[in-house]
Amino acid sequence: MNRSRVLKIAGGGIASLFLLLLPVLLPEVDVNHATEILVFALFAVSFNLLLGYCGLLPFGHAACFGVGAYATALIFKHITGMPFVITIMISALSGFVGALIIGFFCVRLSGGYFALISLAFQMFFYAVALKWRDVTSGDDGMSVSRPDFYLPGLGPLSLMNIQYLYYITLVIVVLAILACYLFLKTPLGHAAISMRENATRASFLGFNVFLTRLAVFCFSGFLAGIAGALFVVHQEFVATTVMDVHMSFTVMLMATIGGTGHFLGPVLGAVFFMVFQDWISSLTKHWWLFMGIFFVMVVLYAEGGLIGLFKWGKIRAWFASEKES
Amino acid sequence: MAILRLQDIYKDFSGLQVLLGISMEIQQGECHAIIGPNGAGKSTLFNIITGLYKPSRGQITFLDRDITRSSIHKIARMGLSRSFQIINIFPKMTVFENIRIAVLSRFNRRFNCTSFLHRDRRILEESDRILSLIGITDVRNVPACEMSYGMQRQLELALTLARDPILILLDEPTAGLNAEETRGIVPLIRKVIQGKTLVIVEHDMEVVFNLADRITVLNYGQVLATGTPDEIRGSEEVKKAYLGRI
Repeated sequence: MNRSRVLKIAGGGIASLFLLLLPVLLPEVDVNHATEILVFALFAVSFNLLLGYCGLLPFGHAACFGVGAYATALIFKHITGMPFVITIMISALSGFVGALIIGFFCVRLSGGYFALISLAFQMFFYAVALKWRDVTSGDDGMSVSRPDFYLPGLGPLSLMNIQYLYYITLVIVVLAILACYLFLKTPLGHAAISMRENATRASFLGFNVFLTRLAVFCFSGFLAGIAGALFVVHQEFVATTVMDVHMSFTVMLMATIGGTGHFLGPVLGAVFFMVFQDWISSLTKHWWLFMGIFFVMVVLYAEGGLIGLFKWGKIRAWFASEKES
Repeated sequence: MAILRLQDIYKDFSGLQVLLGISMEIQQGECHAIIGPNGAGKSTLFNIITGLYKPSRGQITFLDRDITRSSIHKIARMGLSRSFQIINIFPKMTVFENIRIAVLSRFNRRFNCTSFLHRDRRILEESDRILSLIGITDVRNVPACEMSYGMQRQLELALTLARDPILILLDEPTAGLNAEETRGIVPLIRKVIQGKTLVIVEHDMEVVFNLADRITVLNYGQVLATGTPDEIRGSEEVKKAYLGRI
């Protein structure tokens, strides 16, 4: 086994152990924050499925996130006793359907046109959420209370307990990210990657570029729907902010800062973004300025995002140069 | 038996007439070359046959099915495969991954999301067979963009063949190659097209006369002459328009 693989396994083991022990090691406020980070990690992975693997830059990815979030909030509000897992699944399917509607019109385009038309659809969804006050309560938003989670053998677990919420979020997020990872190993995943590389050549090899991209777009919407649902469970509130421009650009920053060329780049980006935001916003209310400066620095000086800095080859080269000097 | 029929094909780009009533037939198993000066409409004709452009007028039938308005991927799935004048590969993927993509499409796994590609022995073995047929096994794991131009040309040819097409269209397969590489590619083409039908656009007359059973000469978007290599060589009209100048 080469050193790179050993390092990867060791890193994965340490990260898994840390995630499992986090509620024991950290105070409740940090567990709460970690839960939110998990949600955004999944959202960023779903975003990067499009940008990093399909070569499609969506400016309006928050639309699917928002659809999932509203679906969860509406179920919590109107259907008492709906099992938690079913709620998440319905929300994921809502994200899927939202993506199907948006994708049908968007994925036949690429580059700037795709980015802008996806933004236009997001603004349409945003306007619906804002104006359809009878259902969504407009910009006042809706408060929801976290339901209990029934686990066979253990009975109901109250999600008001942040530790339970953390573990359930962790399980769902890990499963969703794993599903995304495995999806990329399938022929359909490889077909999508080939279209990022050269869509014209792919179509001359018999691939239907439109349908392939639509399928991946829908799966990305499915994952974003799960993230949106978990976001509402965590926040106990939903408002139009879940599908505004700010949300779309936040996830774009997370993925880009972390690195779109690596599967775990967006996860690292989400962790960094949330921790940095938490820290810098406690120092100044102009924290976006610093986030912007940091983003520009990453784009200019850290090719491949933050995860690119951790490549074993680069680390080895650095050690070698240090040894020489 | 004609497997490809072009009937009175016209194409204009915003008023610029590029093809003016092209009619031709490609017989099964033949090697048919299309030659002509730059701007004669050879590449446009390829683009129309393969669905990239739609003709302004006329009809194209492949295996007795009308493909005039068919999309690129549907034509490709019927067994019509093409290479490009400007190399058109998946540059960041390895040579093997390039071929594997084409093979998975051929085995109809395009929308399969329930199995892992790296465990599909049928696809992997077929991809390796094509690599060895083209003779690029030693660069199997090299990213395509890091290969020499000549090797990329071979990969382009491998991608065209990987779908096991009935009809192969090669658009200037020796473009950009040096004399030695060009000499090497002729036997390779001859080897890989066995049992298939080939239409080739080429400027190198040595390659054309070496490979072709029949030749069609295009000039200003029209068919100037069609015939065997000897007939074309002896045609005064062709000499005047094209061959005489080289």
